[in-house]
Amino acid sequence: MSQVRRTPRNRTLRSRLTVALVLGALTVAVAAVALAQGKNALIGKLEGPEVVTDAAKIPKAFKEAPQLAELVKAGKLPPVAERIGQDPLVIKPLKEIGKYGGTWRAGFTGPADFWNGFRCCSGPDHLMFWDYTGDKVMPNLARGLEMQDGGKTWLLQLRRGMKWSDGKPFTADDFVFWFEDVYRNKDLVPTPSATLAINGKQGVIEKADTYTVRYRFPEAYYMFPDVLAGSTDLAGQMFGYRAMGGFAPAHYMKQFHPKYAGQAEVDKKAKDEKFDSWVRLFLAKNDWARNPDLPVLSAWKTVTPINTPTWTLERNPYSVFVDTAGNQLPYIDKVVLTLAENLEVINLRAIAGEYDYASRHMDLGKLPVFIENQVKGNYKVYLDPGDYGGDMIIKFNLNYDADPEIARWFNTADFRRALSLGVDRDQINETFWLGTGTPGSVVPVDSNKYNPGPQYRKLWSTLDVKKANEMLDKLGLGKKDAQGYRLRADGKGRLRIEIMTLGGQFVQYTQIAEMIREQWKKIGIDLQVQEVERSLALKRTEANEQQLGAWNNDGSEHLFTFPLHVFPFELAAVASSGPLYVKWFHSAGAQGKEPEPRMKELMEKWKKAFGVPEKERIQLGKDIWKIAAEEVYIIGVVGMGPASMGVRVVKNNMGNIPSRQYNSPDGKTPGISRPATFFWKN
Amino acid sequence: MLAYIGRRVLLAIFTVWAISVLSFVIIQLPPGDYVTSYIAQMASSGSVVSEEEAQALRLQYGLGQPIYVQYAKWMRQVLVGNFGMSMEWRRPVTDVIGERLWLTIAVSVAALLLTWVLALPIGIYSAVRQYSAGDYLATFIGFIGLAVPNFLLALVILYLGFILFNAHIGGLFSPEFQDAAWSGARAWDLLKHLPIPALILGLAGTAQQIRIMRANLLDELRKPYVVTARSKGLSEVRVILRYPVRVALNPFASTIGYTLPYIVSGSIIVSLVLGLPTVGPLLLKALIAQDMFLAGTIVLMLGVMTVIGTLVSDILLVWVDPRIRLEET
Amino acid sequence: MAVVVAVAPEQRVFVASQWQLMWWRFRKHKLAVASGVVVLGFYLVVLGADFLAYADPDVSEAQRSLMPPQRVYWFDGWQFGPYVHGFKGARDPQTFKRVYVADPSVKVPIRFFAEGFEYRFLGLIPTTRHLIGVDGGLDASQTIFLLGTDVQGRDLWSRLMYGTRISLTIGLLGVTASLVLGVVLGGLSGFYGGVTDTIIQRTIEILRSIPTIPLWMGLAAALPRDWSILQVYFAITIIISLLGWTELARVVRGRFLAMREEDFVVSARLVGCTELRTIFVHMVPSFMSHIIAATTLALPAMIISETSLSFLGLGLRPPAISWGVLLQQAQNVQTVAISPWLMLPALPVIVAVMAFNFLGDGLRDAADPYGR
Repeated sequence: MSQVRRTPRNRTLRSRLTVALVLGALTVAVAAVALAQGKNALIGKLEGPEVVTDAAKIPKAFKEAPQLAELVKAGKLPPVAERIGQDPLVIKPLKEIGKYGGTWRAGFTGPADFWNGFRCCSGPDHLMFWDYTGDKVMPNLARGLEMQDGGKTWLLQLRRGMKWSDGKPFTADDFVFWFEDVYRNKDLVPTPSATLAINGKQGVIEKADTYTVRYRFPEAYYMFPDVLAGSTDLAGQMFGYRAMGGFAPAHYMKQFHPKYAGQAEVDKKAKDEKFDSWVRLFLAKNDWARNPDLPVLSAWKTVTPINTPTWTLERNPYSVFVDTAGNQLPYIDKVVLTLAENLEVINLRAIAGEYDYASRHMDLGKLPVFIENQVKGNYKVYLDPGDYGGDMIIKFNLNYDADPEIARWFNTADFRRALSLGVDRDQINETFWLGTGTPGSVVPVDSNKYNPGPQYRKLWSTLDVKKANEMLDKLGLGKKDAQGYRLRADGKGRLRIEIMTLGGQFVQYTQIAEMIREQWKKIGIDLQVQEVERSLALKRTEANEQQLGAWNNDGSEHLFTFPLHVFPFELAAVASSGPLYVKWFHSAGAQGKEPEPRMKELMEKWKKAFGVPEKERIQLGKDIWKIAAEEVYIIGVVGMGPASMGVRVVKNNMGNIPSRQYNSPDGKTPGISRPATFFWKN
Repeated sequence: MLAYIGRRVLLAIFTVWAISVLSFVIIQLPPGDYVTSYIAQMASSGSVVSEEEAQALRLQYGLGQPIYVQYAKWMRQVLVGNFGMSMEWRRPVTDVIGERLWLTIAVSVAALLLTWVLALPIGIYSAVRQYSAGDYLATFIGFIGLAVPNFLLALVILYLGFILFNAHIGGLFSPEFQDAAWSGARAWDLLKHLPIPALILGLAGTAQQIRIMRANLLDELRKPYVVTARSKGLSEVRVILRYPVRVALNPFASTIGYTLPYIVSGSIIVSLVLGLPTVGPLLLKALIAQDMFLAGTIVLMLGVMTVIGTLVSDILLVWVDPRIRLEET
Repeated sequence: MAVVVAVAPEQRVFVASQWQLMWWRFRKHKLAVASGVVVLGFYLVVLGADFLAYADPDVSEAQRSLMPPQRVYWFDGWQFGPYVHGFKGARDPQTFKRVYVADPSVKVPIRFFAEGFEYRFLGLIPTTRHLIGVDGGLDASQTIFLLGTDVQGRDLWSRLMYGTRISLTIGLLGVTASLVLGVVLGGLSGFYGGVTDTIIQRTIEILRSIPTIPLWMGLAAALPRDWSILQVYFAITIIISLLGWTELARVVRGRFLAMREEDFVVSARLVGCTELRTIFVHMVPSFMSHIIAATTLALPAMIISETSLSFLGLGLRPPAISWGVLLQQAQNVQTVAISPWLMLPALPVIVAVMAFNFLGDGLRDAADPYGR
């Protein structure tokens, strides 16, 4: 008996030792890794391929994929030099010259997931594009962009001899066709794009000669290169499905346009293909992801469209992309995206190694599972933290007017600051980012050219319950009810604030908001979390019914081309800082509500930046972030994390893979790493 | 008999019509329309759709008109076999549903077969040995399928399949057969992928079938002819299998008509988790995106299947068992 | 089996009330009786959820994220004195998993009727006592997690208690609503017959022909999305019941039709009972038992509906806690792979669904004492 009873004690002793050992080992491991990596083993050094602009380094002779060479031999395709033209777009691969062949397998979630293909496979086909840091604008499909007339005129030089994927030349006519017959056709484009305007005044596109396009604006438009580089309406064929893009294959699209084909003819075509109108037919035909016949400029082109179970893309034989050795890109023959009916399946397939490269739809919460199966799935996990300050931000609706008491507090800077001080960001980072994010304000990463300085990351953005309580007391919110919640100053009970969140996103806004609700109890604020569906969120922000709104500010590291999470800029937003300010801003003060002085200052600086040279613009950008951080119009929670498309799963034998890449919609990540240079090592 | 069939067919047509109206209304119920959800989808990816563009879209899709006009327009098309264009997929609805319909039926039939294989013996056993330990155990097993939340079960099986057997994740085909033309190899590949979804779906329906079988058989077992047979010294197995089971099978078999559509509808959730290319996930997405014609067509289709199934089984039953005919007419 | 009743020697069989007969019959279905006890247990949890929970189900703590269930040691040396070990946790920088190690040198005794968060027992009596807890109540640095914690470090056991309360009341309310609809419409149908009958029967057929899930989805999606949790809760109950009444209506109608011709009803009428008296004194008690059985059998469907709606994202949403919400949060790969205990809420769902089914079957068998 005694024997039996003693056993547990022995076990206890043993396990005590084990615990001490394990805990000790854990601590040592944590410390060692932290020291060695600075932060985290999965986050590497930012790197990427480069566009070669030095004329001396441009290859003179070209090589092509074997199957294309066969076609050339059979006389079915012109020789490769002819297909590429005189001015190839030369890309220096990240690590090495690759080999031709193979298939790249990935997944997509349905016809709404068209960004997926644009990001991986379009090249990217922007006229200008960012270098791998996402900071500098470089020539891309266009050979160059020349500023004239103090920023009012821009000359875009096209590549001579460059061709559409059907072999027809790509010239200034394609721009003029788009501008005159597509963009200016009221049926196709009911509202002109803001990107083709400066200070609300529209510009024009003209043909200077076959390979030169002229953009003319009524006022200086210094931001124009960034607009062509970003994911904007003028950037490439991506937005063709809504008649945008800045150019279109005139020779092909004319057959669907009433001006050229005749109204009766296009109506008949629409009817034959079961479309409701010629407009729908035209848009469907101009859709990069849906129409395999559409001539394109991208590295791969759609073969089976996105509205089928497999979205397949194959190399464009007329691709203008080449590597430094003169090999026509892409290296990989074919991209096959298979339809996955839901996100768990897409993640599980990545975990099982059924995808060769995947970052879209990968869930940060599954990181341990990804890592656990690295060997089994023969892949490696990388993290690509974003450059923007908020994977989660909370917007105060400064225009909320349904409840004057709440409106008053939202417009009190110290109230907003106190609430921001009440957020325990470390807890949230540990729970939802597995510690991989950076807690702090809304300002972008320190290396961003518009970052106002490291102190602004912490400004009003660290946990300080004591100070927050003092500030709230001082504001006149000192009275509390029995449960410890602050009472409204107008005597109408408890001060209740609502936050609107969206479910089913990359970031678990609802769950994080629930955590913040618990944290705000300590500063006596009663937060009500309301998860809504996307359409409703939109309706409520537009109708000025939202109080607090949770979202991210991805893209805001390019605050001039992507301003909607910096200040109230778009009415159609899932979270808004003030819909009336949006109206005021876009109507030049005729409608809406005049912003408070500092917000107004911020907006004016933003507007001014479009018409000034870059150096001045950078200062304006810094000023804007300073105001944003000081005034806390938006609470930054955790940012610069890999939550949004930043978990990357890549097969071990895929080459030219960066250890870290710029992660942003503007960089069309992984487009920024030029997937055309990815290849199979064996 | 003919009069009865005629009456039932007329009623079925009426029911189908009512379903078409109801399904159209259900899809219209949520606030907003396809354009609203499209704008929202654009907004959350940072793109903007202006008010004018939205208006133009509504005009193109005919969404501005009152519901009854849209319904009439749709019905006119449906009657000539054109189910309209899917707004989200921008393809004719029939193309989008296409192969998925047959795969759905394949999965459902497999599930149904499995249900029977399980339910028949369990049902017979638990009727014959009512209230015995075996009865409890058998029904317990039969009911587990009903009780386990099948979405969770599906996920667990999916994961275990990968961890233990390195199985391909979800779907009904291996990647190489995904887009292949139909062939013996592809059919075999499909067959290999069927057992897991069939098991999960089939288990869920087993309880109901056990109940029906057990109740039917219990009714039969008390009939005088069974007592007679027994008293004549027939072996117990023969007594039971010879007549009562056969008679009890009649109403049981008649459930086939509506069980199939029921499984199809029940398969939505499991298909979603397992990533099966069936109509289920399609319907869910269509409803969320408010893709009217696509969702409407699927609901209508499932409804029609149920009605026809019920009709066929009722007629069969009457044909088999004249007593029912007397009762009904 | 009717033989049993006939040969029973005691006189009491002949004078027993119908309910007594039912009870005797019901007792024979052992599984049903056991299930009845289980069901009773579930409803005790519904009543005492906050007493049984020992932690505030909303309190989150990152340093306790995804803690596995703790092992409970029942005996402290010689004495009964349940305790758990203290623990330390950190995130492993290589695997990114949270790792917890029990520290045997720290014993956290489990106290009964301990102090905890404040609530109103049965919604009436304000108290801070809970069935179990630890010394120091809310301020204790080490505490217990019987079933582990979720991603946000919230105690799963306590959340499960609250989830049980919500899910089972939804079921009960839904079934009540179905019952009212079913009895009224089924009764009308069976009593009046003719056109009323046809219309109601057609409606039932149509409702049953529409696949359930789109019907739910349409209705659930049509709910104003800015409704509060409570409003959604009731709306969902009603949606579920709107689809659940058809079966009950069929049963009621069938009973009505069958019973109108029964001897005892005819005799009652002949003796000169009024229509109302015939229905309520003679007919209703007879088919009440059937209704109870049918109701019990309808409950599992309600429970499954609630979880399925949550899975589809159309049911109760997160700040609310229900079985559906808990399961929906467990519906992901990382749960299956690294925190399987989060799937534990499936267990009560399974047990409840089966218990209600067996109970219902037992009741149904018993409902017709002379039948089988």
